[in-house]
Amino acid sequence: MSNKFWYLTKQSLRKKIKSKWFLGVNIMLLLVIVALININSIISFFGGDFSQETKILVKDNTEISFTVFKETMKELTSEEDTGKIKVVKTTKKEDKLQKNLKDNEVLIVLDDDAENFVTAKLISNEKIDNTTYQYISQGLNTTKTSIALVKTNTDPSLLAKISSPMNTERVVLSEDKSVDENMELVMSSLFPTLILPFFMLIIFLVQMIGGEICEEKTTRSMEIIISNVSPKIHLLSKVVASNLFVIIQGLLLVLYSVIGILISTKGQLSINPNVDSLLSATVDSGFLDKMITLLPAALIMMLLSFLAYSLIAGILAAMTTNMEDFNQIQTPIMLVLLAGYYLAIMAGMFDGSILIRFLSYVPFISCLVSPSLYIIGQISMIDVIISIIILIITIALMIKYGLKVYKVGILNYSNEKIWSRFAKAIKSKDV
Amino acid sequence: MLQVKNIVKYYGENKAVDNLSFEVKDGEIFGLLGENGAGKTTTFRIIMGLLDATDGTVLLNGRKIDYSLTDQIGFVTEERSLLTKMTVKEQLIFYGILKGMSEKKIENELKKWLKFFQIEDYENRKIKELSKGNQQKIQFISAVINHPKLLILDEPFTGLDPINVELMKKAIYKLQEEGCSIIFSSHQMEHIDAFCEKLIILVKGKAIVDGYVQDIKKEYKKKNILIRGEDIPVTEIEKIKGVISVTKQKDEYAVKVDEDSIAPKVFAKIKNKNITKYDVTEATLNEIFIAKVGEVHE
Repeated sequence: MSNKFWYLTKQSLRKKIKSKWFLGVNIMLLLVIVALININSIISFFGGDFSQETKILVKDNTEISFTVFKETMKELTSEEDTGKIKVVKTTKKEDKLQKNLKDNEVLIVLDDDAENFVTAKLISNEKIDNTTYQYISQGLNTTKTSIALVKTNTDPSLLAKISSPMNTERVVLSEDKSVDENMELVMSSLFPTLILPFFMLIIFLVQMIGGEICEEKTTRSMEIIISNVSPKIHLLSKVVASNLFVIIQGLLLVLYSVIGILISTKGQLSINPNVDSLLSATVDSGFLDKMITLLPAALIMMLLSFLAYSLIAGILAAMTTNMEDFNQIQTPIMLVLLAGYYLAIMAGMFDGSILIRFLSYVPFISCLVSPSLYIIGQISMIDVIISIIILIITIALMIKYGLKVYKVGILNYSNEKIWSRFAKAIKSKDV
Repeated sequence: MLQVKNIVKYYGENKAVDNLSFEVKDGEIFGLLGENGAGKTTTFRIIMGLLDATDGTVLLNGRKIDYSLTDQIGFVTEERSLLTKMTVKEQLIFYGILKGMSEKKIENELKKWLKFFQIEDYENRKIKELSKGNQQKIQFISAVINHPKLLILDEPFTGLDPINVELMKKAIYKLQEEGCSIIFSSHQMEHIDAFCEKLIILVKGKAIVDGYVQDIKKEYKKKNILIRGEDIPVTEIEKIKGVISVTKQKDEYAVKVDEDSIAPKVFAKIKNKNITKYDVTEATLNEIFIAKVGEVHE
């Protein structure tokens, strides 16, 4: 019987992986992932320049402002690590500079002013992008303050103290709370991207197991299959095959990302400056630390959720007699999954919500909500472990009772509505 | 040998099979008849172990049928049960492996069977590209590729032309010679008549006729008299007590009578006419089936 189990598993997996659908979807995924990672190059190729450096030409008529301005700009841009702004001193005439000014260049003319210490003229061919403008404005204001302090003979050590940022000690009294207020921003931008592949893999999983069982039922080959292998072996072979399939698909997604990065960095597996800056922000916010702590539990929860979704999809698919039925059974599964996805993204907006905390224990959505709440500090690791235990109990119950329903449903070809067939299968004395 | 002993099956309050018992010896072909919804499919599913009987037992060679025995059973379902996206070869390997065969053995067998049914060129064709008749042949091959000890045939001739019906009959006799017990179900009574030694007619899950075909026919008193000739006195024959009906069939008349003793009375009416045929025959299975099932419904 174990030979038949592995044969059925292998057969299901091979059928899916050899299908034109799999090939088509993976070509699309590869192209989309590589394109997203290399979006800068693609935009540049079509005439734009996403990462073009902005050159700031400074004509310093005050003789003392340039060094201060350059240092300030260096500090500002390195803090954000944009690496896109270059500050250069020029002594050329203003008219000539204006005449030869390129689109990626900004000219700043600094002049002495008796009343305001220093004034600036900002010249560019076109509108300057908002971020660059903010840096320049901040740099010029800081420069003015510094020059003013020098001109008023302020003590240099006092000047350094005035210019340095304020020392702020951040204290959070609750142990569960996130240390950084930027976490919410990270959660709303980075977290949806991280859980999107998981969301997508569950959809693939439900479609694979449901589709196959539905096909075997509609072609009536189910009767022959079930007369040679038990319904338990049949369902479990489908569950194992679909889980292996999504794991393979997940690894392929990682591979496509590596290919994208390799193309982006021209063969060097190094981190793109943009990704690096995002990573820095993630590390600073404490997100990465939490993710690393959560990773083993999250992986266990992910695999268990794959198992739970494949079992429920298989059990429900056993009730189908045609594709219309199959679409009906997919809808509630998708809605539950979607609810979990949005709850995970929006959890941070409802700090302290008992409802969301309760939902983090609910199987099928706990895999999405629980990690989210843990990262933003609303639940502890113990809560995550409780969610895992509840998920394991649910899976055990589905195997015990769901298999019996599966056995009844799999040979049921009545014309009743699918949910009525399901209800009857549960009530059946054969269960 | 298959032994079905007092099986009962309830679906909720509905009794689908009512205390059904029969035996099919090795090399015997057994007919299981019944109108739609009589309980045939449920009986087959119980035999195959797909359904648990509410009561009673099913034994194959003295052992209760479970998944350790199903490799020895072949099943041709009434409706096509093929994965239509597979090729013929893939499909036969798929079902063969589920019957515990090795891939090598399946390939040897499938070549023999495809040749027997004259469809060896279709080995790599997809099932969905085949005609209904050829799909039926593949379905049959998938059920017998393991040389089963018990073969269940539910409407096996569906979609087959007369030539292929003969081929399939030949295949069934071949399996019978190998000692395979065969249960046969069909709505075409001439096939049952030709094949089965024993049969059961089910009505609402209960066996209303049970026994050897010859005995059933003998016990059934109504007979048919076929008469061919000129100036047949139809009106006079119809007036004879015990004559049920007189119908014209092409160039002859079919007279249905209540029992054997009426036949001489009919003959007396035509003996002086110019007749070329006078034949008293037993009722056909079709007539017996209609009469018996009709009686229950009345």
